[in-house]
Amino acid sequence: MALILVADDEYFLAVMLADMLEDEGHEVQTAPNGQAALDIMRQDKPALLITDFMMPIMTGLELAEAMHADDALADIPIILVSGAQGGIAREKPELFQAVFDKPYPREGLLAEVERMLNGKV
Amino acid sequence: MHDMSRLTTGISGLDQILAGGFIAGASYIIQGQPGAGKTILSNQIAFSHLRDGGKVLYVTLLAESHERLFQALDVLDYFDRSKLGNDITYVSVFQTLRDEGLDAVVKLLRRETKRQGATLLVFDGLLNARDRAETDFDVKTFVAEIQGQAAFVGCSVLFLTSSSVKEISPEHTMVDGVVELTDTLAGVRSVRQIQIRKSRGSRAIGGLHEFEISDVGITVYPRLEALADPAIAALEPATGRIGSGLAQLDTLLGGGIPRGSITLIAGPTGGGKTTLGLHFLSQSSAEEPGMHFGFFETPHRLYAKARSLGIALPASGSPDLTLHWTSLSDNILDKLGDQLLIQVQALGIKRLFIDGFGGFERAAHHRPRLIEFFASLVDRLRALGVTTLATWEIREIVGTDVTAPARDLSAILDNMILLRQVEEDHRLVRSISVQKVRDGNFDSAAHLIEFAEGGLAIGASLHHELAAPSSDPING
Repeated sequence: MALILVADDEYFLAVMLADMLEDEGHEVQTAPNGQAALDIMRQDKPALLITDFMMPIMTGLELAEAMHADDALADIPIILVSGAQGGIAREKPELFQAVFDKPYPREGLLAEVERMLNGKV
Repeated sequence: MHDMSRLTTGISGLDQILAGGFIAGASYIIQGQPGAGKTILSNQIAFSHLRDGGKVLYVTLLAESHERLFQALDVLDYFDRSKLGNDITYVSVFQTLRDEGLDAVVKLLRRETKRQGATLLVFDGLLNARDRAETDFDVKTFVAEIQGQAAFVGCSVLFLTSSSVKEISPEHTMVDGVVELTDTLAGVRSVRQIQIRKSRGSRAIGGLHEFEISDVGITVYPRLEALADPAIAALEPATGRIGSGLAQLDTLLGGGIPRGSITLIAGPTGGGKTTLGLHFLSQSSAEEPGMHFGFFETPHRLYAKARSLGIALPASGSPDLTLHWTSLSDNILDKLGDQLLIQVQALGIKRLFIDGFGGFERAAHHRPRLIEFFASLVDRLRALGVTTLATWEIREIVGTDVTAPARDLSAILDNMILLRQVEEDHRLVRSISVQKVRDGNFDSAAHLIEFAEGGLAIGASLHHELAAPSSDPING
């Protein structure tokens, strides 16, 4: 069972996504901002990160850059879900393996999660 | 003196009632019930601030997702998605508040304000913060801390709250100003109003001002009579007379209409008020551009009416004559005044025909202010050197009783012309009489008036006409 980390300051979106992933049999942790996500993944490395862009303290972009610079975390694939910054993220494919614009279709995101996790295993 | 530079709202009417905008670095509460327009207003101010080179931190405490907020704002002209995450950042501190409390939110906002270099902080959901607080003292401390740390870095703060029940909330004492938005019913009609309830260090224009929400966002229409217009006091009255378009009427008036004056034409429906106005407008020219500001006949119908009466108006589309028609549906009084004055100024109108004051009256949901409104409107028109004719419909279609058009209205008018209809031998006799001319002699006798070839024709003094027995009661 793979651990997926969800970073989103919007609590209800984070919880909804976590429930959805748990229904698919994954273990999920949530974090309210990039810094909290970084703290969690240093304790318990996830197989995948799904992150929002605009968050307090540390944005999704800053989080991805921090992970990229950290050899221990650089190999974690990242999916960005964003309302308006999808374009910025798509210009950085080295940081984000997939980008979804909110609101995104549930099936599409789940399929991408499966593809990434299976690709890794 | 302390430099109180302003944070303009980008909403001209609001900047006017705030005497130039918010005070930069100060804190304000924007309150109103859900749906009153707080979110639209605060985002509009935020995006205006971005255009002025500022940076905005927009903090929510609510369950509504930011994406849903963006979708709602997408329909508004000012909203620009490309700014999101760059110059304006939306963050939710719901989890911090729930898990760690108010102190942690204060700390987080201090860090975020600094990190984003924010010059405007919008905090949406003060009521939720209050729910989390154990005492009023905690709320006041929270508000004081947020505004204290923001002011320290020169950042202005808008606290949004849906509390509207309590007149005085404890946090009101802490902020520099309170702006309240309301949406109430006047009869069956919805009336949106804005009020500056508190404004420390700045002379705001008090009382209620109407606003509307459209594709451009919020437009505020300050109460016309509450706005000072320095041009009015400095006004030197215009001199001379201009033609009414009807030579016989000019004679009754003692040589035409005093330039820059306001004339009321009172009379029943069908009495010839609009026709008199068309005569007046037929004299419009490049030197004296005319405007018809009406609520009843559409431009098309006005031209048809002029044609059938044989009154020659400047050709349709000519810059000499502008026809502005507004339907009677759900108007905002100060918006009408604003539209009228803006066009008069922009087009350099010198001959104005308002048909009629009743259209303004119907837009006023608070009638007692009408006299002040008309007085202010008329003062501005005089200051602009406009000669104005306005109609007022008298309810009695047939009768000799004359009541003042509205209490105190006559006092603010320069001239008054009365049109009447009297039944004589089962025949409707129309008359015209001049009741008042500013600073001038005039013929006060009632005269016969008839619709004839080329428009209205003024006949003999009614006294003589009625005294002389008619041999033919049908044709006179």
